[in-house]
Amino acid sequence: MKKALTILIVAIGLIFPDGTEATREDKPPANRRNFVACPIVRDTKTLPCWLAEYEGELYFLGLQGSSASEFYPPQLNHEVLVEGTVTNEPRICGGIPLRPVKISVITELNRACNTLLPAEDGREAPAAPARRFTDDMRKAGTETTQRDFTVPFDFDSDYLTFHTTRILSEAARIAKAVNAAKIEVLGYRATTWLSNGNRLMEAQTIAEKRAKKVGEILVGLGISASAVSVNWNPTPESCDGVTDPEKRRVTIRIMP
Amino acid sequence: MRNHGNPDIRLIYADGDMKQARFQRHVIRLAILIAGLGLFVMIVRRGTAGYQGTPQALQWIEAGAGGLLPAELHFENALGKLGVLNTSGPIEMKGHPFFEPLGINPRGCITCHQPAHAMSVSVDALRERWRATKGEDPIFAAVDGSNNPKLPQALESSHSLLLNRGLFRVGLQWPPRDHHGKVVQPEFSIEVVRDPTGVNLDDTYGLKGVNPTVSVFRRPRPSANLKYVMSPDDVFNIKTGVLMATDPETGKPVSMNLMADARHLTLKQQAFGAYKDHQEGRQGALPREEIEKILAFENQVYVAQSFDRWGRSLVEAGGPIGLGPKAMAEGKVHVLANNNRDPVFRVFDAWKKPDAMPKDLSLEQREFRASVARGNDVFMFRQFWIRDAAHINSIGLGNPIKRTCATCHNTQMTGQDLAPGWVDVGTTNYPTWTEPPVFSDKAELPVFKCTCDKSAPPHPYLGRVIYTNDPGRALITGKCADIGSIVMGQFRGLAARAPYFSNGSAKNLRELVDFYDRRFDMKLSEQEKVDLVNFLSVL
Ligand code: HEC
Ligand code: HEC
Repeated sequence: MKKALTILIVAIGLIFPDGTEATREDKPPANRRNFVACPIVRDTKTLPCWLAEYEGELYFLGLQGSSASEFYPPQLNHEVLVEGTVTNEPRICGGIPLRPVKISVITELNRACNTLLPAEDGREAPAAPARRFTDDMRKAGTETTQRDFTVPFDFDSDYLTFHTTRILSEAARIAKAVNAAKIEVLGYRATTWLSNGNRLMEAQTIAEKRAKKVGEILVGLGISASAVSVNWNPTPESCDGVTDPEKRRVTIRIMP
Repeated sequence: MRNHGNPDIRLIYADGDMKQARFQRHVIRLAILIAGLGLFVMIVRRGTAGYQGTPQALQWIEAGAGGLLPAELHFENALGKLGVLNTSGPIEMKGHPFFEPLGINPRGCITCHQPAHAMSVSVDALRERWRATKGEDPIFAAVDGSNNPKLPQALESSHSLLLNRGLFRVGLQWPPRDHHGKVVQPEFSIEVVRDPTGVNLDDTYGLKGVNPTVSVFRRPRPSANLKYVMSPDDVFNIKTGVLMATDPETGKPVSMNLMADARHLTLKQQAFGAYKDHQEGRQGALPREEIEKILAFENQVYVAQSFDRWGRSLVEAGGPIGLGPKAMAEGKVHVLANNNRDPVFRVFDAWKKPDAMPKDLSLEQREFRASVARGNDVFMFRQFWIRDAAHINSIGLGNPIKRTCATCHNTQMTGQDLAPGWVDVGTTNYPTWTEPPVFSDKAELPVFKCTCDKSAPPHPYLGRVIYTNDPGRALITGKCADIGSIVMGQFRGLAARAPYFSNGSAKNLRELVDFYDRRFDMKLSEQEKVDLVNFLSVL
């Protein structure tokens, strides 16, 4: 296990050459589990559970859901970046629940990530969250007071999910409703502080990709291109091992 | 009605000698009498069900032949009958641009979109055409009805892809252009590693020609039930996370479910494309009223299997409500149906109890109906691990997901995807394709090696070097992650239009089911396979 971990850390170092060597004391809070590992899927009588192992301990990440779910599961054939907080809750599917937890699928393939565990008596999945995909989820809001929007992203990703596209729709709706003179789009690039002390930096171009994509979509949603200003900050945000996922973002500010 | 002949009579013919001939003639007369009586009884019993004999001339409609296409038709196929419904009433084919040759070659849209074949065309019908016309039918035109326009066209072997697998050549320019005509910078390069037809390495038609072209080979998709195919999803495309493409005329989002690669956004663009590519239409654009007439026809024609193998209507009082062309015409569009409340092809509960079925059905018919109902449950509810399917597993659902056929095929009435339906389910990419090894003599399809740039996101499950016989959506977007993604087509009238999948790789429904069993390691029992096949055969 130790050996595999060392290899993993070296591998991460290779993929993310920006990661800097850490000193022993220099680490995120002790209740955080920020790591890159192969995800594990465990079948159950109902919905499959997603788990990942770190330093010999198994953690529960979440359940299979739908595109309307809060939690988007990891993918076999890819490693996953886990950023979560340990809870005292009882184990789920054999893993210590992390909550809140943010997972990002690492883009490159890793065929070694291939563990599918069969269903086992006594390791049942909790009931699925009641939320179902409904047409209501696509309905627009009615208030027009909000001016600032934050669009979160997964690590190294500019993919907009079912949920984050709704944020853009809302921003565009309000900008049109208040006849905004200007809309500022600002893209960021973040850093994740891993529990082992290493720092993972997002790709150099990611802030620009995110900002341009959001800008284009706002224009596509009917906002005049001349009203949209698109900027990005290529300098990676600082990290604290806790709020790092929130910094992978694009902000939108509506100025009436 | 086409006389398929009673198989027993054929047997007598085959074994008979001169002495028995007289006796046989009696038997035949008797058989014909009984058959005639049976037909009479059937017609009487059906009463107003709308069944009528289908004239031989409509079994295969030649472009420019004229005549009337009745409002309702039923064509025999190996698994029963296919129903065709023109909701606007009978169609006068003379002078109608869907039915007339419009371009340089004598083909019409009708040539490849035949009512008897669910507005597509089956490989059996193509072979029959070859035999009947000695290869002269315009459907075999060199441009895309042969493996390679430069091959000697009189030879059957020059049309092997059409005659063996029902595939037409689709030549797409490379690199692609976007919807505004701008060149797309592809994320991958294409190399031809196998070219059994010679067309991809040809110096006129190939990748190194003056107009670099990639030729892939595809099945015609049904030009019917199109209100479902065309119904738009949302402002955002859930598969890509960006805005859906829009209709250039209305500015409204389109469905992006048309063609195997969604290259055409609207039926209008599609008709222009078909006119130019299949009909070699070069004498200027199609006049507006012709386009409108084509669209008007396409938008009112519905197809679905309508009779079982024993000649009994699949549409019966108290029976399943999703069967037959009338149900297609009346159905609601854009209903997400991967649930147990109102499933994809509606409810089959009435066929779950053989005892509750009409008393005059034979035991075999009842068992068949019960099997169909079980097949519906397999399709809707039999879980398996959906794995490594780009644009399903990669869009936030996780890899793998424990779900069902209806996860991908989730749209009510057609079994398409409510979202843009391009998915790499593994039909065209190595290693999940159903093709002989790359260097086999039996190879029929081209093989391309796609090598993706290091800077581009890889195909999520195949990486950056991919062997494929059809890159599908990626030929339009130039994206590595789209290689091998094919837009799923509708499931209706399957019995009338084998083979299946865009590359014709499943000869029949059993082969299609076997593909899924292998691809997703489903471990289907023999009974489940039979039930699924029976279920698909009545759609
Ligand atoms: C030579 C045969 C041929 C002719 C002639 C032809 N088509 Fe097609 N049609 C095809 C093929 C092959 C496809 C699938 C191509 C692909 O997926 O890339 C297709 C696809 C279509 C589709 C898409 C249906 C769907 O669900 O995606 C429509 C609609 C259609 N054709 C209409 C027409 C019209 C209208 C005409 C006449 C203007 C026409 N076709 C002429 C072969 C033909
Ligand atoms: C991961 C998504 C996915 C799943 C799961 C899936 N399919 Fe498909 N299906 C597709 C795609 C994509 C196509 C189009 C592929 C092609 O044409 O090459 C398709 C095509 C089809 C067709 C149309 C064939 C034709 O030529 O018109 C049928 C029928 C079909 N699937 C049946 C099934 C059945 C039965 C199951 C369950 C055993 C199933 N599918 C599971 C994605 C899926």
